[in-house]
Amino acid sequence: MRAENYEARRHPPSHEFEINFGPNHPGIEGNYALKVTVHGDQIVAARADGGYLHRGFEKLMEQRLWIQNIALVPRICVPDPAPMEVAYSMAVEQLCGLDVPARAQWLRVLQLELSRLAAHLFTFGGHAATTGMYSPMFWGVADRDQLLDLFEELTGGRVYSIYNIPGGVRRDIPAGFLERLSSTLDYLDSRLPDYDNLLFTNQVFVKRAKETGAITQAQALEWGVTGPNLRATGLGFDVRRDDPYLVYDELDFDIPTEQPGDAWARTLVRRSELQQSVRILRQVIDRLPGIEGPIRAPIPNPLAWKVPAGEAFVRIESSKGELSWYVVSDGGEKPYRVHIRGPSSMHAVQVLEHLVTGCRLEDVAQIMFSLDACPPEVDR
Amino acid sequence: MTDTHLPVERLSVILGEVKEVKVTQRATRRTRVDVAADALPALLELLKGRAGFVHLSAISCVDWPDDGEFELVYHLWSYELNLLVSAHTRIARDPGVYVSVYDIYHPAGFFERDIHEMYGVYFEGAPDMQKFILTEWDGPPPMRKEFDSEAWVNDHFDWQNYRPEWLIELEQQGGGVVIPPDEQRFSRRDRKGSGDES
Repeated sequence: MRAENYEARRHPPSHEFEINFGPNHPGIEGNYALKVTVHGDQIVAARADGGYLHRGFEKLMEQRLWIQNIALVPRICVPDPAPMEVAYSMAVEQLCGLDVPARAQWLRVLQLELSRLAAHLFTFGGHAATTGMYSPMFWGVADRDQLLDLFEELTGGRVYSIYNIPGGVRRDIPAGFLERLSSTLDYLDSRLPDYDNLLFTNQVFVKRAKETGAITQAQALEWGVTGPNLRATGLGFDVRRDDPYLVYDELDFDIPTEQPGDAWARTLVRRSELQQSVRILRQVIDRLPGIEGPIRAPIPNPLAWKVPAGEAFVRIESSKGELSWYVVSDGGEKPYRVHIRGPSSMHAVQVLEHLVTGCRLEDVAQIMFSLDACPPEVDR
Repeated sequence: MTDTHLPVERLSVILGEVKEVKVTQRATRRTRVDVAADALPALLELLKGRAGFVHLSAISCVDWPDDGEFELVYHLWSYELNLLVSAHTRIARDPGVYVSVYDIYHPAGFFERDIHEMYGVYFEGAPDMQKFILTEWDGPPPMRKEFDSEAWVNDHFDWQNYRPEWLIELEQQGGGVVIPPDEQRFSRRDRKGSGDES
């Protein structure tokens, strides 16, 4: 180990106290814990403690058929489940060399962007609540519910859609779905000024969020931060544009960035992403009727499906950042190895520990929510 | 600075400087590199310093008990070249010790810690090898192929015969789904006198 990375073991002086922030705490996102050492109300050391949501997905998937895993994977990340099933399906398709029909790819984009909208609305609500404002939380959850209604109509499931299978999607859009989607998007657009008044330009929120939990671009790159948190430091990187998958290279959208890298900037990036997702969805509404064809490629008998030996690495831009899956097959009926790299495994562990140290106790919750840390995808 | 037209060729020049490296182009932006375990840190230093591969996306560990090896895969992304390089290396399963690359890539701290608790691979020089997810676990590393979760459950937990009053009543009326304990998926099939004692 190099000298600059060496940290001498600290022995807490008598005026420092250790507090368990979580796992059951209103200021923590999901079941997660931070063991913080405080001096007064200033945090002098923090240690992330995960594992409360460990369900052993990677091991479970090795014991189940390729097709059975479809029902398992959305559960890895509760607020934003769609990218998980799409990524897994894409990995299996890569291993089998399956070509996904165009219509299925567009339907996947539709599902992914709806899921991003829902996840961001959820995060705004949570983040606002950590600054003592509960109305945006109720609004965020209520507006997310409109999107869940669409999910229910499209897939049958409100939260866990289980909509994708390797080769395509399970069903086509119901009659009149695009009109309803369009009016929901109009509704979300009309809500944005209200959100601006209540949250994004509200001085109660702005003063708390500005300069809280700031990271520089160099730090973000060094610590492997991706997604909106990286874009809030000024680097406009998005897997959808720079390493395109599905039909994102045919879509027209911007990559919003902000410079300061603090909680405020991260919120603004998500707010702009909300608009970009709506923009993408409008393009889907326009173009989907013109894309004819099947919604899935034929696959062999799924109960005796032997996926050819090989490896696949799939990356997707989820609402929290870069989600990557590494799937290995040994030619058997079950995956040989699945490794899931949730974006939060970076910013919910090392980065969070780093950011929280030196801040005040009341900002811990806000920093965690502004990073959009998702413990279930850290624990897997 | 970057020859954006030929990122792959620029990469291959750099890779040519490492001894005994096998490069496979898998897709437009995916390159697989097989490298010996002792050359991997040097390869990462080169990729990070000379080709802008500043982002360590993940470190994946694959267990190959038949070969007596662990395969470690370092997925690196270059924001300049927009390329992903997966560096594969293999280490002996016993004793399962390798060097940490935390000094080159800080995200490695998380992945090495994860691989340590799930596979038992020790990374020398890693800042933190304490348990993170399996804090209260003292069994063998559970992601190893020889770890059988069903056998572990049968050996360490008692099975309860779940027959509440309301279910018995339902069954007496001819309803309910009756699955005898021995036909359940996680059955006590390797225990004699498996029973209805709860």
